[in-house]
This record gives sequence, structure tokens and C-alpha cells, in this order.
Amino acid sequence: MLVRDIMTRHPMMAEPSMSTVDAQRFMGENAIRHLPVVGSGKRLLGLVTRQSLLVDPGRLGSLNLWEIASYLSSLKLRDVMIKGEHVITVSQDVPIEEAARIMVEKRVGGLPVLDDGIVIGIVTETDLLAHLMEMMAARSSGVRVTIRQPNVRGELAKLVAAIASQGWGIAALGGAVAPKDPQRWDAVVKIRNVPRDQIVAVLSQIEGHEIIDVREN
Amino acid sequence: MAGQLSLETPKTKRTKKTLGGLLVIRDSRVGMVGLTLVTFWVLVAIFAPLIAPYSPLAQDSSAINQGPSAQYPLGTDTMGRDVLSRLVHGSRTILLLAPLSVICAVIVGAFLGLVGGYFGGIVDEVVMRLLDAIMAFPTILLYLIIISAIGPSALNVVIAITFVGAPGVARLVRSLTLDIRTRDYIRAAETRGEHPFFIMFREILPNARGPIIIDSMLRVGYAIFSIGTLGFLGLGLPPPTPDWGGMISEARKYIWTNPLGVLWPALAISSLVVGLNLFADGLREESTRYQ
Amino acid sequence: MDDHRPSTPILDVRELAISYKTRRGQVPAVRDVTFDILRGEAHGIVGESGCGKSTVAFGIVSFLGRNGRIVGGRILFQGQELVGRSEEELRRIRGDRIAMVYQDPMQALNPSMRLGDQMTEVLTTHRGLKLEAARERCLEMLDRVYMPDPANVMQRYPHQISGGQQQRVVIAIALLNDPALLIMDEPTTALDVTVEAAVLDLIAELQRTFDTAIMYISHNLGVVARVSSKVGVMYAGEMVERAVVERIFIRPFHPYTQGLIRCVPRLGMDKRSSHLYPIRGRVPSPSNLPPGCIFEPRCDYARADCSQKKPPLREIEPGHWVRCFHAEEIAQTEWQVPADLAEQLARPAGYDPNAEPILRITGARTYYRVPSKKLLTRKKLYVKAVDDVSLEVRKGQALGIVGESGCGKSTLVKTIIGMEKPTGGQFDFMGMDVSVPVSKRDLALIRELQMVFQNPDSTLNPSFTVANQIARPLIRFKTVPRDQVESQVLRLLQMMKLDERYLDRLPRQLSGGEKQRVGIARAIAGQPELVLCDEPVSALDVSVQAAVLNLLMEIQAELGSTMIFIAHDLSVVRFFCDHIAVMYLGQIAEVGPAEAIYAPPYHPYTEALLSAVPIPDPRAEQKHIRLSGTVPSALNPPTGCRFNTRCPRKIGTICETEVPPWREEGHGHRIFCHLPLDVLCKMDAVVTVNQ
Repeated sequence: MLVRDIMTRHPMMAEPSMSTVDAQRFMGENAIRHLPVVGSGKRLLGLVTRQSLLVDPGRLGSLNLWEIASYLSSLKLRDVMIKGEHVITVSQDVPIEEAARIMVEKRVGGLPVLDDGIVIGIVTETDLLAHLMEMMAARSSGVRVTIRQPNVRGELAKLVAAIASQGWGIAALGGAVAPKDPQRWDAVVKIRNVPRDQIVAVLSQIEGHEIIDVREN
Repeated sequence: MAGQLSLETPKTKRTKKTLGGLLVIRDSRVGMVGLTLVTFWVLVAIFAPLIAPYSPLAQDSSAINQGPSAQYPLGTDTMGRDVLSRLVHGSRTILLLAPLSVICAVIVGAFLGLVGGYFGGIVDEVVMRLLDAIMAFPTILLYLIIISAIGPSALNVVIAITFVGAPGVARLVRSLTLDIRTRDYIRAAETRGEHPFFIMFREILPNARGPIIIDSMLRVGYAIFSIGTLGFLGLGLPPPTPDWGGMISEARKYIWTNPLGVLWPALAISSLVVGLNLFADGLREESTRYQ
Repeated sequence: MDDHRPSTPILDVRELAISYKTRRGQVPAVRDVTFDILRGEAHGIVGESGCGKSTVAFGIVSFLGRNGRIVGGRILFQGQELVGRSEEELRRIRGDRIAMVYQDPMQALNPSMRLGDQMTEVLTTHRGLKLEAARERCLEMLDRVYMPDPANVMQRYPHQISGGQQQRVVIAIALLNDPALLIMDEPTTALDVTVEAAVLDLIAELQRTFDTAIMYISHNLGVVARVSSKVGVMYAGEMVERAVVERIFIRPFHPYTQGLIRCVPRLGMDKRSSHLYPIRGRVPSPSNLPPGCIFEPRCDYARADCSQKKPPLREIEPGHWVRCFHAEEIAQTEWQVPADLAEQLARPAGYDPNAEPILRITGARTYYRVPSKKLLTRKKLYVKAVDDVSLEVRKGQALGIVGESGCGKSTLVKTIIGMEKPTGGQFDFMGMDVSVPVSKRDLALIRELQMVFQNPDSTLNPSFTVANQIARPLIRFKTVPRDQVESQVLRLLQMMKLDERYLDRLPRQLSGGEKQRVGIARAIAGQPELVLCDEPVSALDVSVQAAVLNLLMEIQAELGSTMIFIAHDLSVVRFFCDHIAVMYLGQIAEVGPAEAIYAPPYHPYTEALLSAVPIPDPRAEQKHIRLSGTVPSALNPPTGCRFNTRCPRKIGTICETEVPPWREEGHGHRIFCHLPLDVLCKMDAVVTVNQ
């Protein structure tokens, strides 16, 4: 899974000469939070977020009412955007978890996806969350079981083998180190079209594994 | 109902249609200027005896080579003839000879062009090479050769201009024919087993009409130039016929004593030629617009 | 999983109105057009010629020319307004985000530049890429559009590659900038059906991978049904209906849409079991529109209110928009053939399959000499346009000849009529030899063979009136005495459903369909035994096409004429013809009764052709067979079976070395193939329609 698979292609873009007032309305109307600012050939010049459009009160303090009005209306995106080299971007060929890491570490909600400096898409938190949702098959019904197992090689294989031996299909499979217990590993499986009790019966047989959560949707 | 149906389009109707086509000139300012100039000279030619104060041949030995005066508005020439009268009568000759020679050139050229373009192959090759050979000569040289061979006269001027002009017409008609002969209606005529001359003159020629008319307008302009040139070289109409080119040639000798003598006939030639060119341009522009 | 993305349409056109300034004043070419295209969606715009579909496209990219202007409405592109902006602003907003592909690829390609240079230029000037990087990208893109041997293609000039390949290059260039919106205006109309199918496949795939929104303009209902997910139907400058593709084709509400669908033949329909119902009247000119509903004068359901008020485009069911006051009612009533139309519906001629053949061609060959490129070689080169063709046409039969461009079908017909000189073979027409050119033929023979041409704009001599055009063959062939010519012209005109008002009209005062009718009248005036029709309806709009086909059928029934009918549209041929010959590269691949050609056993080439035909029915399922490569040159055709270089069912070297045998299936159905008949019989039907 790479960024190219989950990014939004052909994102909305704006010119540096667009006024901030127009940009505000534009972003509101179209429900977007990140607006890449591009020049000729879709080359990235900057990025505008909702925060960029917030007016700095310190700047307005010294102005009177008329001056404020004219200042606001003359403000263009090129004045308020995060400029070129400061924009945190990503390439379309990196894995999605890398994009997630960048977003978490740099504390940003969206990354323009560049190809040779040209905006070809944008990937936002929403895209990652939507993908997480798909990974966990959130929209299909089934039984979701969380199993705590030793964080040792081969343990997950046991779980998968047990499911496979019954001829069941796995709709989704995920896992992470158990919270506050690095010795253990929490695996989440979603199995479709099998009664809950049957699944619990089979999975609870696996040695060393412990079912910590079962739910059905 | 069936009785009203006529298979041959009446002549009046056809002319009306062509004139209707020419009416688009109203939309072109340039074309209207040209039309005005041309109409002016046509009217002058028609009413020449009424306009001219004297006979073009009448000599006044008391006033030779004079500038404009109340008696002679444009002055007199070396033989004491009234320049205005000669100019007015000269328009008759030129407006008769120029169109006549162009019509001849178009008839000859269109025939050769149709034959070459329609038959193609070896016929085309022979006709076109011959015409190329004529076109390879400088026009002035050709005129000189022809006129000196057959002698200067009104008829020979027409022959010379026809000979020189026909290759150009032939090339135009040939290229139009090459285009038109690929149309399906020509195919249809061929599959009806029509005679080649029927196809050339009834099916192709009427559809080449527009460009040929416009080209002819321009050619009349060139012909006027050519007649002027021949007259200037003394190869035009034999004296004392009033001839604009001849007038320039005569007046040239006295250009220092009476410079206006050259100006009037020169002005007459250029205004008529420019008028025709503007008219043709306007016509071409308007007839190709919105197509 | 795209529902979390911004829902703003890529293109949102609202109440768009475009006018052209002409000598006669403002002409409202497009009025009140509303539609939107979502990201990654292919939206079809379908309509007959002159309905304003291209004008809408030109309005979006503001290529309206000097006399065109947007006079109302909005065009929102990715949320930003395009109408009312300066040229400079427009250029920036649209920038590299909208690309357009036209019908003629040569319009977009520079003939004097190598294709590679044209492609890299897009990237080096717009994007400032280095030449090497740009080249690499172009190669990659050519690969994506399935261009064989991309590196070689980049070295060539546009005229050195085929039309289908040119269109691929144009699409590749359009995609280099990764546009959000791709406008395609009849991109496959000039292409052969198998090439068209491959290009349509390509468009669908690219749309998926690049998430590009596509506005697909076409007059061909079948093509639109294949590529689009939504369709807007345009009529006389207005959008009259818009819905998802299935609804438009299966449950249309607007009477015009219904009419359109009734007048196109579907693959498999034939004249004996079904009818084509043309739409009455003609499209109103944009300078003289009816005051109420624009379709009212042609509508079978028109009521009093239709002619007074203009119906709005309203949402009749979720996602289904229609511009009609009475759509609900119309949807519930079963359509009845109106009495006046029922009269016009032709009853097909009763053709007797055992009738005597009137034309018998054996081993026909027509070669064209081409000049050798090498100056000094004496070797003569020949284009083998028709090579060893044998055919029989029986009295009263309609024989269809189908095949892609360059297959020799036109040359064959020209040879029969005497416009090309055959190189060899016997041509026997009712006991007469027709291998001589028309100029050496007897008048009696000439009048028996007449032709109907393809292009309505050049079929009639622009200088002559309708009466003159029809009278000429009557006079020439002395069909009727001189004093009866006039009444005969009138009779022929009435047969063409034209009245006496047309007698004095000139061709430029006629519509395309009317010109074609006059052309047909001219062809049948001399009462020929055999009428050769060279694509007689392919340049016509579908509603006119139906009327002209009906007319031809009526002529056949009334006069008992025999017809050879060339067409590239397999549905039309299937509908019209009794017998069909499929040609490939100068030879006949398969010949037989129409119903036998369209059902197994097939020649592998016929199978591929059928699987490529666009069918105006989204429920139809077709086998997916795409031919690889291009048609080989007729200068040097492949040995053995000529189809062997592209045949998906090639069995081995025998196909390359030996001329295939004729496999006879009976009833005159013959297949020119090495595959044994029982193998051919086991093929599945190419088209199945799920009800």
C-alpha cells in the first residue's frame, strides 16, 4: 500500500493571487482543509490551511477600521501561505505508514503529493483513516476478535492456521504490540459468515492465546 | 403544378443569381471603394462624348503643351489637343480592350485548364509544360515579341494579352478542376457514362465560377496595365487614337516643361487598376466569409 | 471507498448559454445546459449533429472563436468559476488541468515535428523537466496507451503512423499533464471499429488509473453506452435528459431519447422482424426555435401546453433529469406507431434465395500500380486492393459488404461499376461482360448499374436544381419520353417523400438527409437493375439514417432492385442486407446469409469485428476480442491466410504457408479458414443480451 493508492488525485488548487477572503469561502464551500497553491504547470508554491487564513491579531492592533478592511481585502494567498520549501510533502511511492509517520511527527493534517515538484495529489488524515477503516473491513459485517498472544515469532501463524483449518475466510487482519506490555501482541481478526460462538470455541483452544475482546457487527 | 416545372433554369434567373452573389460586396468597405472607382470610369466611358469638351483629335496650334487653364482644364498636349477630352475618350478604348482580352484569355485558359485537370496524365503533362514554357518568359518580352511579329493594332493587343494571360487562367482552372473532379457528383456523372466534355463544361465549370470571376477582375486590372505599357512603348494602338499609355509616353518627353501632362493619364490608369483590385479583394473576402 | 473525498464535481456546468454572432444576428447555439461531472467519472454527451454538444465543449475551454460568446450561466471547474474571467486568468486556472482530444488527431499534432519532440516539449516547457527525464516519461506514457514499440514511434513523424496510433499519441500527450478533466470530442469517429474498440478500452482503463473525469462527446449511442457511466442527451442546443447510462437506454423518459433509441438498429435486428422508426420532421434551426418545448413540433405526445411554455429540466427520479412536462405519463403509456409513420414503414422485399444470380464475379483482381520508391529499380509494385474475390448477387437481393477501411470493398464496387479497371477475373452481369471501364460500355449496360454515394455534401452538383439533377439520367437514358420527364421527376421526388417545392431548390438549401434522398432518386431514375450503395447512410444522423434505410427498403420492395450495400456499421448491414460478405485485405473472409454471419460458426475475423461493435444497450455482453497489430500493407500481403498475422485463433505454420480452404456450412455460408468446420461451430455467440 503506497501513497499513490490512497491519495486524492486532482486536488483543488489555487493561484497565489487568490485573495484570502475568496480562499476562505472556497475552502468552506468545498469542505477542504488543505489548499495547495500552485504556479504554472501545477508546480507547488505553497500550502494554505485553515490556520493560515486566521488573521494575526497583533498585526491588526495598530490599524483603524478602514485600514483593517483594506488590509484584509488586499491580502493574497502568497502573503499567508506556507512557502515552498517549508511545506511538508511526500512522494507517491512511499508506503502509507511512512506518510502517517511524517504527519504525526510534523504534526500536520495533510501532505501534498509531489512528482518532480508538481502537485499530483494530496493525502490527508482522512485518507489514512478511510484506509484504516478498509483494512479493518469496518463496513462489512462479521465477528471481530482481539487475541492477546506472546510477542514471539510463529504465534500469529498458529492463529491463522487455526482459522484456515476450519475453512473460514479472514476479512481483515491487523495487529500491534499490546498497550503497556511489550511482551505481548494483540492481533485483530475479522471473520465473516461464521457464528460467534463457533469462532470463540475454536480460537480459545489455541495455547497461550487469550481472547480479550469479541464483537459482532 | 407539373407545368410550372422547368428543367432549364431560365437565363434571367441565372443572371439574377450571379448578381445576387456579387451583392455581398456591400458588406466590404474596401470593395465598395473599388466599385465606386470602377463605376466612375465605366460611366465616363459610356458618356464620353457628352463629358469631353472637345474632340480628342482636335488640335489647337495656339495652345501647345500648356498647363491647366480655364479653357483646357487639364491642359493640352504636344499637338495642342485637350488632355481631358483625350483622357475621357481613352477610357473607352481601354474599357473595351481590357475586358475583351481577359474574356479571351479566360476562354482559352479555362479550356486548357479543364482538359489538363480532368484528363490528367499525359494530356495534362503536355498542356501544362507548354504553358509553363510561355510563363517562363518575362511578360514584357513576350508582348514585345508578339506585337513586333504581328504588328500593332487593337486586335493584336487583344491577341497578345490573351496569349500572355491564358496560362495563368489555365493553372487556376486546372487546380480547381483537380479538386472538383474528386467530388461524388462527378463520379455520378461518370457512372452515367456522360461525355467528358459534358462533365468538364456542365458539371465542373459552373462550380469553378466564383474563383474565375474574382481572378478575372484582377486580370482586367493587369490588362489595363499591359495596354498602358504597350502604348507607352509605342506598341499599342496606332496614333492618333487616344490611348492612356501613349499619352504618358508623349508627355514624358516634355516632363520638365509640363509635368502635369504625365500625371493625368498615370492617375487614370492607376485609379482604374486600384479600383478593380479593391473590388476583387472585397468580393473574395466577402464570398469566403462564414463558409 | 472514495466517499470521504471532497464531493465537489470536477466540472459543474449550470444553465450555460452560448451564442454565435452571424450576419443574421445572434444565434443561440446552446441554451440552458446543466450537468456536472464527478472525479473519475465518464460523462457522455450524445446528440445529433448541430445539437450544440461540441459548442459546450468549446465553451468550457473558451475556444469559441471570434464570433462565439458565453451569454449566460456558469461553468465551475474544480469549484472555480470560469465564466467572465480574462483570457489570462482562464489560462492559469485551466492551465494544465483540462485537456481536449478531437476527432481528427492531426489537428493536435504538428506534421513537421517528430512525435517524440512534440511529446517531450509538453514536459520541458510546461514543467521544466530535463530532456532525458521528459523522454523517459513520454516512453512510459506511450507504453501505458499500449503503443507498440514506443521508442521507435517517438522518432517518427505523425503521418508515418496509422490513424489509430495517432489518436493514441494524442491521448498520451493529453495525459502527460495529468489533467483533472479530459474532454473528448468524437475521438473514435474516424477510426475503424476494431481500432475504436481498443481505444475505448484504453479510455476506460486510463480513467480508472488516473482518476480523470471524462466528458465524452459522441453521436454514436453505442460508443456512449460503452464508455460512460452517466449520459446527457442534447437536442437543438438544450439538454433534454440526463441520467445514469442504464436508465437512458432502458427506461428513457424524454420522447426524443425514446425516438433516438427506436431509430438505431441493434446488432441482431433485421428488416423482417423489426422496424426502424425515424423521428418525424427535422431539427429546428437555432435562429428559428419553437416558442415552447423545442421538441414539441416533432413529438408524438405533444399537448397544447407544450407549444406555449418551455419545460424546465427537472429531476423526475433521483439522478434522472428530464425536460418534459408529461414525462411521467409518457413513461407509463406504451408507444404506438403513429398512423402517418406506420404508412412510411417499408415492408421488406420478398427476396427469393433461389433466384438467378444477375451478377457473378469469379476471381476478381484489381491492382493499383504504385511508383517504386527506388529510382533505378524496374520492379513494379502493386497494391492488391482486390485479390481473388468471387461473389454472386441474386435478383432482388441486398448484398452487404463489410470490412474495415482498406479492405477493398470500395475498390470492388468501383470495379463493378467500371471506374477502376480490373486486373483479372470474370465479371458477368446478366450475360454481359462488365470488366470494361464505363467509358467503353454500352448505354444499355450503363443504365443498369447505378450508384448511391456516401457524402451528402458532394453527391449533388451545387450548381443545379433538384429537378435538374434527377432529370439528367432520365434524359440521358431515355427512360421516359422527353415530354414526360417532368412528371417522372415529380413522381420520383414523391417516392423520396419530398414534395414539389423541392424542385427548384439548390443543394445548399437541403439538409443532409434530403440531399441523400435526391442522390438516391438520381440513382434509381434510370430504373437500374443493380444499385451500388457506398456507405449511403454513414454520414447521416441516426434519425435521418433510419428514414433513408426505410426508403431504400421501400424502393427495393417496389422496384425489385438488387442492391450491393457497403457499410462499416455492422448493425446497419445486418438490418438491411439479406446476404453479407466480410472482406479483409482484398479478400472475402466469410460470406453467407445475414443471420448466419452473426451467429457461430464465425470466421475469426468476423468474430473480432462483432466483438468490437459498439452496441447501444448497456445490458449487452460482448466477448472481448481485440486484434493486435495493424492491418498489413496490401502492397505485400501476408502469405497463406492473410489474417494470420493478427488472428487470435491461429493454429500454426499452416496459416502462414497455405491458402485456407473454403469451409461450407450450407445455405451459401462459406468461411475461408484453416480451422475445421466443427471447431468453428463450437464458438460461442459473440453478443448476448441479458434481459
